[in-house]
Amino acid sequence: MNEQALWLGYQLVAAALVALGTVGFLARRNMIVMFLCVEMMLQGVALSLVAWGRYHGTLDGQVLVLFVLAVAACEAALAMALALMLFQRRGHLDTAACFRLHEPGQEVQLVEQVSAEGELEEPEPEPTWPHLPPAGVEPQRDPEQEAYRSHV
Amino acid sequence: MTTWLIVGAIVLGAVALWLLLPRGRKAGRRLGAVLGAIALGMLLATVPPLGGWFTQGLFWLLAGLTIASAACTVSFRNPVYCAVWFGLTLFGTAGLLFFQGAQFLGAATIIIYAGAILVTLLFVLMLANPRGQAAYDRRAWEAPLAATVGVVLLGLFSTGFFSTLKAMPQQTPAQVAAEKRQPPGKYAVSALGAELFSRHLVAVEVAGTLLLAALAGAVAVVAQHAQPGQVIPRPEGTVPPAREPNEVTVR
Repeated sequence: MNEQALWLGYQLVAAALVALGTVGFLARRNMIVMFLCVEMMLQGVALSLVAWGRYHGTLDGQVLVLFVLAVAACEAALAMALALMLFQRRGHLDTAACFRLHEPGQEVQLVEQVSAEGELEEPEPEPTWPHLPPAGVEPQRDPEQEAYRSHV
Repeated sequence: MTTWLIVGAIVLGAVALWLLLPRGRKAGRRLGAVLGAIALGMLLATVPPLGGWFTQGLFWLLAGLTIASAACTVSFRNPVYCAVWFGLTLFGTAGLLFFQGAQFLGAATIIIYAGAILVTLLFVLMLANPRGQAAYDRRAWEAPLAATVGVVLLGLFSTGFFSTLKAMPQQTPAQVAAEKRQPPGKYAVSALGAELFSRHLVAVEVAGTLLLAALAGAVAVVAQHAQPGQVIPRPEGTVPPAREPNEVTVR
C-alpha cells in the first residue's frame, strides 16, 4: 500500500470532518445538534492522530485517541445533563435562550432581533394522517336520528 | 491539476453547504446535494492511488460514506435524523480505523460512541421532544457565512497537507523501522494495551477518575431540583402523552 497516499487520504477525510463540524457548530441552533457537531470534530481529530501514528510506526496516536474518547464520554454526560436542565426550564433547546442571560436591571437587546429573524417563510407542515378506505356496508340512515343529531 | 481540484471542491462545497443548511425553505436542497457529491468526488480524486483496486475502492467507499453522512448530520432539520446520520458517520470512522489497523479503536468507537454516547443523546432528544419541528431547527444562523468559514478551514488544512506531502521522505519512518526488523507489534491490540498500561499508566488512572467525577457531576446537575413532593409543570410546547396529567409529582 502507498503509505503516503494513505496518510494524505486520511488527513483529507479528517479535515473534512472537522470543517463540517465547524459549519454545523456555527450554523445550527439546537444544542444537541451543536453537541453532535463537536463530537464530529473530535472524530476528525481521532482519524488524523491515528494516521500520524501509522506514519511514524508508533502507538502514541492511538493512545491519545483513547483519552479523547474518555474525555468525550465525560463531556457527553455533563452536556446532556445541562441540556436536559435547560429544556426543563425553558421548554426548548434553542441557543437563543442564552441571549436572555443578563444582570438584573440590564437591558436585553438581542432577543427581539432573534425572534424577528426566526420568522419562517414556509409554514410548519401539517401532520399527515393515514387515509383509511371505507370498509363494510354503510348503515341505513335513520331520519328520526338525523332530525335531532347534528352529526350521525 | 490537484490545486484546481481542491479549489473546485472548496467552491462547490461552500455553495452546496449553503443550499443544504436549513434556511426555512426547501428550494435548492437537491441541487445542494448534487453539488456536494461533486465536491466530495473532487476532494477524494486528489488522493494518489493507494494500491490494488480493492484497497482503493474500500477507501473511497468508507471515506465517501463518512463525509456524506457527516454532511447529512449537519444539514438535516430533525435532530433525531441528525443523530442517526451521526451514527452512520461513526460507523464510517470505525471502518476507516479498522482499515488503518487500529482494531481496538475501531471497536471502541462503535461501543463507546455509537453504543453509549449516541444512545444517551437519543434519550435526551426523546425526553425533550417539542411539538413537530421547532422553528430553531428549521432556520440556521448565517448559513452562507458558516459554510464559507468551513470551506476556508478545509482549504487551509488541505494546502498544509499537500505542502507537507511534498516535503516528506520517500519512505515513512514506519517503513524504515519495519526494514530494520523493528515492527511496532505483531498483535496491534496487545501492543496497544502494553503501551497504555506501561508508559501511560498515570494518565489511565486520571482518565478513570475523570469519568467518575463526570458521572457524579451529571447526577448532581440533574437531581438538584427534584425534591420529594415537588410538582414540576410540563414545559410549554411539549406534547403530554395520552391519559397523563400535565404535571409530574416527584416521589
